[in-house]
Amino acid sequence: MNHLEIALSWSTTLFEVVLCGFVFARKAQRILPLFAMYTCVLLACTSGVWLTYEYFGFTSFTSYYAYWGTILLNTVARSLAIVELCRYGLRSYRGIWALVWRVLASLSILLLARAAIDARGQPNAVAIYGTTIDRDLALASIVILAVLLIIRNYYGLALETLQKSIAIGICLICTVDVIGNTILRSLYTGYLFSWFLKSQNALWPALRPQYMRVNDIASTVHLFFFMCAMGIWCFALRKPLPAPSKSPVLLPAEVYREMSPAINMRLATFNDRLMELLKP
Amino acid sequence: MNDLSIVILLALAVSGVLLWLLLPRHKASRADASSLHSDFNEALPTARHYAYFRQIRQALSAADTEYLVHNAPPHVAKQALRERRAVARRFLMGLHEDFSNLARLGRIIAALSPEVSHKQETERLILGLKFQILYALVWLRLSTGNLPLEQLEHLTGLVGRLATRLDTAMTEISALSAGRLPGSLGA
Repeated sequence: MNHLEIALSWSTTLFEVVLCGFVFARKAQRILPLFAMYTCVLLACTSGVWLTYEYFGFTSFTSYYAYWGTILLNTVARSLAIVELCRYGLRSYRGIWALVWRVLASLSILLLARAAIDARGQPNAVAIYGTTIDRDLALASIVILAVLLIIRNYYGLALETLQKSIAIGICLICTVDVIGNTILRSLYTGYLFSWFLKSQNALWPALRPQYMRVNDIASTVHLFFFMCAMGIWCFALRKPLPAPSKSPVLLPAEVYREMSPAINMRLATFNDRLMELLKP
Repeated sequence: MNDLSIVILLALAVSGVLLWLLLPRHKASRADASSLHSDFNEALPTARHYAYFRQIRQALSAADTEYLVHNAPPHVAKQALRERRAVARRFLMGLHEDFSNLARLGRIIAALSPEVSHKQETERLILGLKFQILYALVWLRLSTGNLPLEQLEHLTGLVGRLATRLDTAMTEISALSAGRLPGSLGA
């Protein structure tokens, strides 16, 4: 590992330790257990990869597979944190939740299926599989978060400050992942495809300096935004968390059954009048 | 445009929407379901603008227009007509606000209901989208002086009746929820 990689690894680990410290000091695991687990997974993965690099060497195949393994683990943990954000606060609104979870689950299945199909069609190389599935899952995360927020805004159910900060951080990480992985995947399947061919192994020593330079740039950009996201989460956790909001007292079911069709009918009449206005 | 550009642009666009949704907005008139219990009636002004239609009608009457065209200097008449159209547009915006309040009431009732019908919710969503398009078209026609005032009066009458119905509905909700909800709603 060169100096830049060592500095990046240390600063990322430091940020993750501080973040985990904040999470447990503020007892955020009581409100958002899956987000707390995500922060622990981040720290565990960074430490695990670091140890693998130290023990097996930075350029060994074991380190290579360990790196892609941790990427997958991080993605799963992040997805669980997003599921928690979707559930948080909405479950108390039983009627809306019954509607929302079906919409989000259908969307998730659709996006996961798309990611699987997209990855299946790729050439047989871990890096190409990895970048494709990581990109598609990051894009799926952004879409699901956006749909969740649109639904919440539509029904006037705002997210609390901490949850908002978590969503902003995840959005930042996912956006950078999508952009970075799209560029990498395009390079891997295009100009650099020969890297993955066994017949080209003899060229590796000559290609190595260029590869390392590209890798440094990609790692620096990725880790910079990753640390920004962790900074956002740490900032949100700097103060003690407010007490969780009480569950809302719901209206009797007959209010909706009576009022909703009446309101819709009125809205439809209003639109009919507007249509009449537009007739020549 | 290749695959790379499309995915990057898509990611940036969706992230932009997401961040826009996350930005805090300080809009005093906006009410949400979580703050509903504290001050229900004040948080949801149902229909205020239709009440001014009589004065607006007076100001925009055809007789006034005719008088202006025949008696005022051309540049004064032109300016006055332009200002009258601007007043009508602002009034239409007010009616839009009244409509939005009614739709928001529907959404808040849905949020606070233990069970909702996906058919009703989808219908309301489509009605809202349709309204936005129609409103934009009416606004354009009004801006170009292409919309008779009498038709606007029909619309206002409808909003007025809606407001009356809404006030009654709110009273009914308060009565139904009496003793169950804290704050003014249940009071």
